[in-house]
Amino acid sequence: MDSDMPWKGSGARGAGGTLQPPLQPMSAAAKRLRKVGPLVSRIVAALFGGYALAALGSVAALALPMSKPQAVLTGMLASFAIYAGAVIWVFAARSALRAWAGLLAVAAPLLLAAWSVW
Amino acid sequence: MKTKQEPRPAGRGIRQSMSDLHTWTGLLLGWILYAMFLTGTVAYFKDELSQWMRPELPHQVQVPDRAVVAQRIADELGTLASGSPQWGMRLPDARNNSVQAFWRTSSTPGQRGFGEANLDPSTGRKVTSRDTLGGDFFYRFHFQFHYMPAVWGRWIAGVAAMFMLVAIVSGVITHKKIFADFFTFRWGKGQRSWLDAHNALSVFGLPFHAMITYTGLVTLMALYMPWGEQAAFKTQAERQQLTAELSAFIQPGRATGEKVPLASVEDMVWQAQERWGRDNVGRVTITHPGDAAARVAVARGEAGRVSMSPQYMEFEGATGRLLGIREGVGPAAETRGVLYALHLGRFSDTVTRWLYVLVSLSGTAMVGTGLVMWTVKRRQKLPDPDRPYVGFRVVERLNVASIAGLSVAMTAFLWANRLLPQTLAERASWEVHMFFIVWALALVHAVLRPPRKAWVEQLWTATALLTLLPVLNAVTTQRSLWHSLAEGDWVFVGMDLMCWALAVLHAVLAMRTARHRPELQSVRRPDRQPASGVALREGEA
Amino acid sequence: MNHLLPFVLSLAGFTALALAMDRQQRDVIGRSLPRSVTRALRIAGTCALLLALGVLVAWQGWGLGLVIFSGHTSLAAGVVHGSLIGYARKYARSTKHR
Repeated sequence: MDSDMPWKGSGARGAGGTLQPPLQPMSAAAKRLRKVGPLVSRIVAALFGGYALAALGSVAALALPMSKPQAVLTGMLASFAIYAGAVIWVFAARSALRAWAGLLAVAAPLLLAAWSVW
Repeated sequence: MKTKQEPRPAGRGIRQSMSDLHTWTGLLLGWILYAMFLTGTVAYFKDELSQWMRPELPHQVQVPDRAVVAQRIADELGTLASGSPQWGMRLPDARNNSVQAFWRTSSTPGQRGFGEANLDPSTGRKVTSRDTLGGDFFYRFHFQFHYMPAVWGRWIAGVAAMFMLVAIVSGVITHKKIFADFFTFRWGKGQRSWLDAHNALSVFGLPFHAMITYTGLVTLMALYMPWGEQAAFKTQAERQQLTAELSAFIQPGRATGEKVPLASVEDMVWQAQERWGRDNVGRVTITHPGDAAARVAVARGEAGRVSMSPQYMEFEGATGRLLGIREGVGPAAETRGVLYALHLGRFSDTVTRWLYVLVSLSGTAMVGTGLVMWTVKRRQKLPDPDRPYVGFRVVERLNVASIAGLSVAMTAFLWANRLLPQTLAERASWEVHMFFIVWALALVHAVLRPPRKAWVEQLWTATALLTLLPVLNAVTTQRSLWHSLAEGDWVFVGMDLMCWALAVLHAVLAMRTARHRPELQSVRRPDRQPASGVALREGEA
Repeated sequence: MNHLLPFVLSLAGFTALALAMDRQQRDVIGRSLPRSVTRALRIAGTCALLLALGVLVAWQGWGLGLVIFSGHTSLAAGVVHGSLIGYARKYARSTKHR
């Protein structure tokens, strides 16, 4: 089913499980934060984390065994696929934390490659 | 269909996440995407539109010999842009009856000033037609919008395209099943029919939609992803290696200061015609014209190959000696050239161009139906259909203005082209202002009227404007339909007929929207969207 | 009219492929066709599409040929799909059972 607020509660459920114990008296703001926090975190991961990963990938492409202009262009061409893939991953992952972890796991080798050519 | 899913604490399948992602990425930038799709579609005919918007330029019966034209324009630029360090011209072709010339106005490196003019190929003089941006307005709006620095617009377009890419991928993941049995949809009722239309348009156009989105990003990738370039090249000279892979721009060396007249440009273009075909020479670029160090690049046209990679012959300006022929670039650069060409479709013959337009229109309709579906799906779940929540109303109104309103505004732009007085200062800008004024009025109208009435009224307005445009054209110019038919001027004939075809399309939409009544309603629903038992197929949709 | 042949071939190809589906057979003909006919339709449809591609590649080379082929197949698929929907709606109205 489609809900009007897409990830309303999904993160909270993800964090707390489906069978949540009755909530302790919590301030409204804190409740709200618990609900939207993971969602906001995912959106940030997708928008900025995804872009950072794509940018990193485009630099890492310089390590490819080809002439510089070709490597630069290869990196640029591939970057949008990386970005799209990252966004999909971020929202497919089971939790916001895993989403970030996945991004970092891919970023590590790319960073290494990018480091070698910068 | 249930997806196999690993145990998830949240109990939300990946399909559900993807469905939500699809819905929200689609909605957030959907209005911009719709405008980009529609103006982009129209931009496939930008040269034809430009012809129509400059009715003073006579119908081009035969394309003049480009070699002769190139010489004529070079001579004219000698007076028009003397002292400029660089000239360029786009030679006329079957779709284009004027020469677009541009020149650098400043010789200080790093400083960018350009002059441009539309020149008449038969005289070399500036064309005497009404001041208009022509089809280029839609073309530019498509990727950089208006009333803002071009770079901002391009970033917005890039973000929209990226959202589109994500919407496509997540849509495919959500709807995997549809691809397995593409032909088995049924046309449902109410929500289902919107859903079916959206699905059908998405699926059979999918290769195109995916291609056009990705290649769109590629056209401006150096702006969006400059990091590799910045890391790889430290100096301007190094960066030049990259530029050489992307465009036929020859780096102007240092002028000697010694005045030597330019050798025959006609002869150079003729040599290029010998190599690539009489009709297949595109641009001519001249650096340091009139100087001993002058260079002339004659670029190959875009016909006959699916690539925008630079191919050109370089001549020494003073002697006319052929310095070299460039016909290949590296593999990655060629890939980029192919993707770029696929997006622009300039290699197309008339039929292929129409294929582009039709499939691209289906993309426009896909975005449009997607936007409408957002409200259709949610209307059924409204606690009180008479008083929907604010977000719902915002989406509803924006849909009207951005879909029906855009048709009205785009047609109004063409009306302005015919109606604004020729002597008006800043006339070209005023055509554009009219487009936005009308669009803004459409939004105001959509806010003030009940949604269904707003849809119907705006669709009828578009119908009326489109129907009467050929009439207006006949009254205000010498190029009425019968005249164009007699002349065999297919651009003007096509324009008139397309207006009527689009008018019919809008009329059908208007009538359907007006007629659409919810079926089997137990609750009173004043608005047009039905809610029947089929509503809850959504888990699968 | 070099575009006509590949377009007609794509149209025929998609029609055959659509009719090779059980659901369309029941909708359009009113009964399921025998297995062998279905298979023949599927093969014929595929061949028609390949032939369209062949014609275009022979005419325009691989680059342009593939692009134009995509255009023709997209449009043809749209037309076949649209007609099936149109047919189903008419059918539904006349029999009043859907």
